[in-house]
Amino acid sequence: MQSTLGVLARIPLFKLYRSFGWPQMLPVNLTLSPSPKCNSRCLTCNIWMKRENELTLEEWDKTLASLGKAPYWFTISGGEPLMFPHVVELAKLAYQHCKPGIINIPTNSILPNIPERVEQIARACPDSQLIINLSLDGVGEQHDRIRGVKGNFEKFEKRLGQLLDLRGRLKNLVVGIHSVVSVFSVGHLDEIIAYADGSGADQFITEIAEPRIELDTVGLPITPSAEEYARAIDRLIKYVESKQFKGMARVTEAMRIEYYKLVKRILDEKDQVIACYAGWVSAQIYADGTVWPCCVRADNLGNLRDHNYDFKTIWFGEKIKEVRRSIAAKECHCPLANASYTNMLHDLPTLGRVAGNLMRPKVPLGAISLPVKAESGQSSRDRIA
Amino acid sequence: MAFEWLSKFEQGTEKEADYAEKKLAAYRLGMKGKGSIVGVMVHTAPDCCEPARQLPDKKVYHPDDAPSLPLSDCPQGRHCGCVYRPAMSYQDPVI
Repeated sequence: MQSTLGVLARIPLFKLYRSFGWPQMLPVNLTLSPSPKCNSRCLTCNIWMKRENELTLEEWDKTLASLGKAPYWFTISGGEPLMFPHVVELAKLAYQHCKPGIINIPTNSILPNIPERVEQIARACPDSQLIINLSLDGVGEQHDRIRGVKGNFEKFEKRLGQLLDLRGRLKNLVVGIHSVVSVFSVGHLDEIIAYADGSGADQFITEIAEPRIELDTVGLPITPSAEEYARAIDRLIKYVESKQFKGMARVTEAMRIEYYKLVKRILDEKDQVIACYAGWVSAQIYADGTVWPCCVRADNLGNLRDHNYDFKTIWFGEKIKEVRRSIAAKECHCPLANASYTNMLHDLPTLGRVAGNLMRPKVPLGAISLPVKAESGQSSRDRIA
Repeated sequence: MAFEWLSKFEQGTEKEADYAEKKLAAYRLGMKGKGSIVGVMVHTAPDCCEPARQLPDKKVYHPDDAPSLPLSDCPQGRHCGCVYRPAMSYQDPVI
């Protein structure tokens, strides 16, 4: 199984690759989107309307075999990935061929067979860490409104409980809560933080709603203003800084704080801010076999069906060169979390700040107050620290 | 609007041969699927052809009635910068 140290050792090589085109490297961070189908109707996403000529399991098998042991971090995305009928088999194939350190799957919590599928994946991939992030965009009816499904919050709570039970039996399972900070949710982020804090989940992560070609949200007013986002996220940063984390969790939380600060700068400066490695270190394979550098631009780098399912012929081919030039020339900028965390690992000043944060003593919450989780999805304002 | 570069980027991307067919089918499904989509709009390019310039501004079409992009006589063919955008119920004004 791949180690974190092995991934870190590849950082200088990727920096060389991005600067000079050598040595040629396959991506470490790969997102697989087996299907756009989804049973949510989120205000911030239109992917569920799409239909594709989806890759079959046999086609995924050949593709993943061509990647060898390069990918360390897989995200199986969607649509709703746990609705994809062959998601267990897909995860198994990724595990068998690539031996990744991490398999990360977001979910909307709706389907009743989610815990069963999660357990099957966790047991089939025992040496990978399986991270299941349950989406939460509000507490109670706010969640249902933003996700477009009545009763979704109730199902979220049920699945969270089921997955936390599973976590007790499965050592490699991590259960997290993921919030999209959009114009629809930015005003009640405090309430979500407080809920997550009392939920028993292993982690709470947020991502700003942004336009993406993949989601067909270009031009839609879903992104909060830089000021609104900063107001909300500063409180989350203070909250995270006030918590006591141990071991690896300290490092990941320090990275998260840096990510939130990076997003603020990207919104404010309308610039890449730190070099983007999408197209070098990270990539996405869409449902129809098209390879993208990322889901925001979704440049068609080539379709695996036209390349005998050999990822390398696309990754080291001619078409990707112009896209890499464009990304390196900062013709794009975005706060996409998946790519941003990879980018941060390749940015020395960011790593320096993370190290500095790790050495800094914890800051008490002081005057910051957050709504405390209450019964039945209601909330009341109270100090929690 | 945040991330304006992406709007220009999308307009500058060569269209697949089945662009209109796929997009409009998705919006049709979206309207049946009880999402917040209420129709489709045509976002014209700054350098669009005359027929595109004549299209009514900010009109929301039912996907069955939307013009097929690129327009049949567009001299830019699949490099036409006019794009479809979903019209959402929460947009103000929704047109």
